[in-house]
Order: sequence, then structure tokens, then C-alpha cells
Amino acid sequence: MDETFEISETEHDGIPVLSVAGEIDVATAPELRDHLQACVTKNNSTIVVDLLDVTFLDSTALGVLVGGLKRCREAGGDLHLVIAEPRILKVFEITGLTEVFSIHSTVDQARQASRP
Amino acid sequence: MSAPGTGPTNDLVELSIPVRADLVVLARLTAATVASRAGFGVEEIEDLRLAVEELCLSLVEGDEGGRLELTYARDEHAIEITCILEGGDQHRPNGSAEGGHDDLSLRILDALVDEHGRETRDGRPCAWLRKRRTRVTN
Repeated sequence: MDETFEISETEHDGIPVLSVAGEIDVATAPELRDHLQACVTKNNSTIVVDLLDVTFLDSTALGVLVGGLKRCREAGGDLHLVIAEPRILKVFEITGLTEVFSIHSTVDQARQASRP
Repeated sequence: MSAPGTGPTNDLVELSIPVRADLVVLARLTAATVASRAGFGVEEIEDLRLAVEELCLSLVEGDEGGRLELTYARDEHAIEITCILEGGDQHRPNGSAEGGHDDLSLRILDALVDEHGRETRDGRPCAWLRKRRTRVTN
């Protein structure tokens, strides 16, 4: 089921990087939402969310990411996504969210783009 | 098109699960297995896994009680999945979810399946989808 779902947080040059692994669905998305909220609460207006090890993602997950993006932008920053898997990218494409998020193929690219 | 639930009937699988966020995965696993048996390709199976998740989410948001009664019907051309909410909160407000995921859910279903819809069956909320197989198997 969702045993493999994990979120780890690291920081690079003051930018928090949330690395998510496993399936983000209606059961696990609240955990991601809590991490994102905690990041913004800690005065981080810009966050990188690494989805390289995500194997499934539904509309609940998208909703959480959109919510995180809004909070970051309200705080004057941005939320950068890292996606390489075509199947995951496809979900963003068919929902039109590739036009909304800053999407990068590597964490390094996202970190560079997130620098002020 | 035949009416939902009356089309492909060569092979019928039924799944009944409590409305719990951590059990919706069972609807996905069953969809993947049925689609695989029906000769769907890997990408089509992945599409169906996501589509059935969205089908369930169109009726429930998580742990509001009741049961989801799912029916998976297939023939050589298509799979039809019907999801009925039995009991629980049957008056879920639309558009209440964070980040507008109801709208996102609809876009996903539009993109991934051939037909889908919502209706009331015997007073119970029902969502259904139909996906045709594109891969030809020998």
C-alpha cells in the first residue's frame, strides 16, 4: 500500500528541498500538505519539491501542491517541482499545471532557479 | 454505446471497500489487475489506475463513512468501471477541496478515459467510466 511513502527534508543554500518517494494519493497527500505548511511557516517562501521518486500522483496531490504554490507566492516566493518520470509529468500536462508550476528535471536545476 | 454497467459483461469483478483514504488503493490495484488480464498495455493500465482513483474521489474525499461498491466489467474491447457510494456522507459539496482538486479530477478523467459520468442509481451517488483498449494482442 503506502509503506514506501516517504518525505525527507534537506536544505541547500537556505532553500528547503522536500524529497518525496512513493505514491501521493488521498491517503498520503495530507502528510505532504503538513510538510509544505511547516516549511512556509518557518519563513521559507521558496521551496523545492523533488518528485523524482514518486510513482503515482492523483488530483489530491495536485491540490496540495497548488495550495503550497499559493502560500509560497503569497509569501513572495515560489514552489519549484522536480519531475523526470514521463508518467508523472503527464498528470501535470493533462491538467494544464505545467503552465502554472516551475518544473525542472533535476534538483540542481531547481535549486539554481530558486536562488533570488 | 451501451448503458453503463450493461456493456462488457464477459468478466465481472466486484469490490466493496469501506470509505477510508488508505483503502482507495485497492480500487487502483483491482483496476490494474483487471486491465492487465484484458490485454491493456502498460500505459493504458497506468491511465486506468489514475482514472479509477479519480472516480472514487468524485464521490468521497477520505474517511467520511459508508462503502464504495465497485464493479469492473470487461470484454475484448473495453473496461467499464462503476463506483457507487453506499451510505456515508452522500452530500459532498463540490469544489470544496484544497487547490480545486475537483476540477483537476475532472480534467484527468476527460483526458484518460473515453467516457465517464455521474448519476444517481436507486438513490445512491454513482460514478462510472469506460476505457477502450487500443493495443492489439495476439
